[in-house]
Amino acid sequence: MNKLFHMPAGVRRTALTDSGKFFLLAGLVVWLLTLGTQGMGYHWQWYRVPRYLFTTAGGVWKAGPLLQGLGTTLEISLLSLLCTLIIGLTAALFRLSDSFTARALARSYLELIRNTPLLIQIFFVYFVVSPVLDIGAFASAVLALSLFEGAYAAEILRAGIVSLHRGQWEAAHSLGLGVFDTYRDVILPQAVRRVLPPLAGQGISLIKDSSLVSTIAIYDLTMQGQKIVAETFLAFEIWFTVAAIYLVITFSLSFAVRALENRMNGLPIRGAGGIA
Amino acid sequence: MSTNERIIEARELTKTFSGGVVALDRFTLAVRRGEVVVIIGPSGSGKSTFLRCLNGLEEIDSGSIVIDGIPLDRHRKNRLLIRREVGMVFQSFNLFPHMTARENIDLAQIRVRKKTRTGAAETTMNLLAKVGITEKADRYPHELSGGQQQRVAIARALAMSPKVMLFDEATSALDPEMIGEVLDVMRTLAAEGMTMVIVTHEMGFAREAGDRIVFMESGRIVEEGDAERFFAFPREERTRAFLGQIL
Ligand SMILES: Nc1ncnc2c1ncn2[C@@H]1O[C@H](COP(=O)(O)OP(=O)(O)OP(=O)(O)O)[C@@H](O)[C@H]1O
Ligand SMILES: [Mg+2]
Repeated sequence: MNKLFHMPAGVRRTALTDSGKFFLLAGLVVWLLTLGTQGMGYHWQWYRVPRYLFTTAGGVWKAGPLLQGLGTTLEISLLSLLCTLIIGLTAALFRLSDSFTARALARSYLELIRNTPLLIQIFFVYFVVSPVLDIGAFASAVLALSLFEGAYAAEILRAGIVSLHRGQWEAAHSLGLGVFDTYRDVILPQAVRRVLPPLAGQGISLIKDSSLVSTIAIYDLTMQGQKIVAETFLAFEIWFTVAAIYLVITFSLSFAVRALENRMNGLPIRGAGGIA
Repeated sequence: MSTNERIIEARELTKTFSGGVVALDRFTLAVRRGEVVVIIGPSGSGKSTFLRCLNGLEEIDSGSIVIDGIPLDRHRKNRLLIRREVGMVFQSFNLFPHMTARENIDLAQIRVRKKTRTGAAETTMNLLAKVGITEKADRYPHELSGGQQQRVAIARALAMSPKVMLFDEATSALDPEMIGEVLDVMRTLAAEGMTMVIVTHEMGFAREAGDRIVFMESGRIVEEGDAERFFAFPREERTRAFLGQIL
């Protein structure tokens, strides 16, 4: 018998009933939806959707507006992710620094960002900061998103750093390592591994939050969807498709991170040095 | 005793913790080059605090510390200089868990002593041989026994070629059968002329490996003296009571 299924009977049964319940519920939702749309006389026209994903005119494969939008979304997300990590790390280190000024700076940044809505921050950067810095909509979008997600990444990283045993710092100092070397070689490699799951969650939030940049005339996935709906009135089909694309991206990301995590769990990080 | 013979000079150290606990109370101690000083005393008497002050892990409130001619003051540069010359071994090993034994020992050589990887590798293998665990070079700390971990930690400190080694209860976290292997390494170091300040509860080891015993309580020295004399004829009533309890 397959080794995979050698689990206690109790576990197997709950897993089975759970997925059963899930599919029952999903089926119910679909059924209600069909019923509802029939009631309002909505005509599903799925056959009109593919051309917005891609066209194959004359045998040449070409991305449609939705996939182009996805490209923009990924581009913005990837750039922002990079900046988020840099900003987050800087803010975390500032918060933990010995310098009062650095700590105050980090605190103000974190409080400001976490207590105002992202949409307002995007508007602020686009309408106030970007004319001053003379940057375009794309750069504004990346800046606003990174500043926002960076605040959350900072708190996650800080939590990882302070969770390490004090002895790690003391061992590094007693070897004559400076603060920079200690962070780079001793503290951060351990801290980042510990907070990888929440950090990845923040990355997924970033992709979802990036849909808000459609409000400053950036043709990302959401904006393209909006445009197509306005032209074709295929509201249900297009929004379902857009949501599905986001879902595929975020799901694959979670999956990749879980795989990475499992691989890292093979490495010693939990059984910390000595009698921590 | 001429001044340059004294590699550690701690004068009138005072350290009060935030809760009002006086951990060091005008504590004065000088250690000669090559001397092995063993500090004993009841729990909370300030032994760890003294060691931690010696390499700047803890800041003193007043007094002065000079190590090999370098004053341990508020200058960051001196602090780093002193930490390079003073090795420390902790009760809880404090190995870096994400690095193998070899990498633990390589790190400071490369980062602080600016050695090349090959240069560091050679020293590291020599040190691993010295502490007797060459075959564990590529093991992670969690794959090693407590005694092996502590021996890696000693090798890691030695890799900086320190002028002084501090041991804070290096064997207290170990199972009895592993204490011996760590004490053996410490004995070898003492025999090679390393200057050592050792906090321990192993009185047999203290008597045999120590040149001088310092008994402290409440942040002060109660009695100090040559190891043989100290154990054979303790002068103070308090010392006799302590030794009576522990031996
Ligand atoms: N970080 C700290 N904050 C407050 N009090 C402290 C701190 N570190 C040590 N103390 C106190 O200072 C005193 C001396 O502590 P220390 O650790 O030096 O004692 P010790 O002689 O090493 O004891 P032990 O044998 O238990 O290790 C104790 O009363 C202790 O509670
Ligand atoms: Mg102690």
